Amino acid sequence: MTTNTISPQDRVFSDVDISSNAFWAKPFDERESSFAELRHRGGVSWHPAVEVSFPHAEPGFWAITRAEHINQISLDHEAFITDPGVNVEPIPYALSKSLTFFLQMDKPEHTLLRSLVSAAFTPKQILKIQDQIFANAAEIVDGVIGAGEIDFVGRVAGVLPMRTVSDMVGVSPTEREAVAIAAERLIGRSDSATGNPADVLQGMIDARDFLHSVGSSLAAHRRSNPGDDLMTNLVEARIDGVGLTDDQIGSFMVLFAVAGNDTTKQTTSRTVYSLDRNRDQRQWLLEDFDGRIGVAIEEFVRHGSPVIGFARTATRDYELEGQTIRRGDKVVLFYCSGNRDEQRFADASRFILSRKPNRHFGFGGGGVHFCLGNGVAKTQLKALFGELLRKAPDIEVGEPEALVSRSINGVKRLPVRI
Amino acid sequence: MTGKIVLDRSRCVGLGLCEAVSPEHFEVGDDGNLTLLREDVSADELDIIEEAVEACPTRALVLERHR
Repeated sequence: MTTNTISPQDRVFSDVDISSNAFWAKPFDERESSFAELRHRGGVSWHPAVEVSFPHAEPGFWAITRAEHINQISLDHEAFITDPGVNVEPIPYALSKSLTFFLQMDKPEHTLLRSLVSAAFTPKQILKIQDQIFANAAEIVDGVIGAGEIDFVGRVAGVLPMRTVSDMVGVSPTEREAVAIAAERLIGRSDSATGNPADVLQGMIDARDFLHSVGSSLAAHRRSNPGDDLMTNLVEARIDGVGLTDDQIGSFMVLFAVAGNDTTKQTTSRTVYSLDRNRDQRQWLLEDFDGRIGVAIEEFVRHGSPVIGFARTATRDYELEGQTIRRGDKVVLFYCSGNRDEQRFADASRFILSRKPNRHFGFGGGGVHFCLGNGVAKTQLKALFGELLRKAPDIEVGEPEALVSRSINGVKRLPVRI
Repeated sequence: MTGKIVLDRSRCVGLGLCEAVSPEHFEVGDDGNLTLLREDVSADELDIIEEAVEACPTRALVLERHR
């Protein structure tokens, strides 16, 4: 077989562009038509590294665009690992490690560090913070009723997750907005790119350093004033007799702030828009809100598809759809594409709240990296949409301004009249 | 028909999506470990347990069906 001698650099790149800045500047639905073409051709395709303005050595990546393959690779932790990198773009290794905590780790390290955090996310623990989340949602919605024309993202969608994240980890009210802004800078890293490589990387490093400093001071506080909370768990943890370093706690803080803020925020913004443009669906939900919100939330998350995708690296040669993924190759699992795969979802582009089963990729493709915060996210969506639909039935929703990002399907601004 | 829940501990990460579906059968403790409160599944519980098994993102649960 001649393929044995083909190095990654010699492979032929797909003629479907999903790498350029021009591609990522397009709206979600236009990008989806390229992903649909890739799914149609087999769903396993080789592409140039996603365009960035700083130097890198990534020879290319495999795009995994079909639902079944995303599940298959997500569940195969022997053949596909995360430590070499999880980002769609070729972010430098050391920088990426400082942003991702256990997300960019494999077992046994992943298991150990994730378990320190997961105790705060069990169904029983979520029940304990549920009342606070519902109270926050009520306060946020009450605060904007009658306010006239507002930016829904800044006044509503971004506020609840920011408070939830801050409450869970002990960030003070005076600092929580700065934490959310730093998280947003990290995910919108290419949105305000000036083309100057130093600026893009420096912006990420500055946001990282700020979140690390927040993590360090929260940790220092909990070392001297232990409580019954997540940060106390982290500072008191000993693995083989050794505690977490400040760098590890900093990287936890970045993961927690990014994963906790922007995912729920984007889903909320996308959903308020979809409910407004699909009145029949909104009506269906309102007819039995308590009985239907559970199944509806799965569709909020699938349709909103907040996380674009995450990368894995092959530990061995792997055959898929007639292609050979080589040991060491990067693969990107495009959750945005899996969520529109017609093989799994009939009328995949439509917003159908009663959809069941709904095996979507809003929380990943399964396996040990499945979104730890899924239950907290669902609780927030339930609380917020319960308040909104009840108290603001006549909300008028304008057109969203999309965030240009390779990591999040974001909404920067969404004008509403409330 | 009745059934039995089988848990593969090597796969379970204690997310508790099963508990969200059926708290009568599943409980994730404060240590993050999943406990099967009841392994046996009655005929009228088969559907809900099937849903819990389907919900597991790490595929750690299997429902054995008995005639």
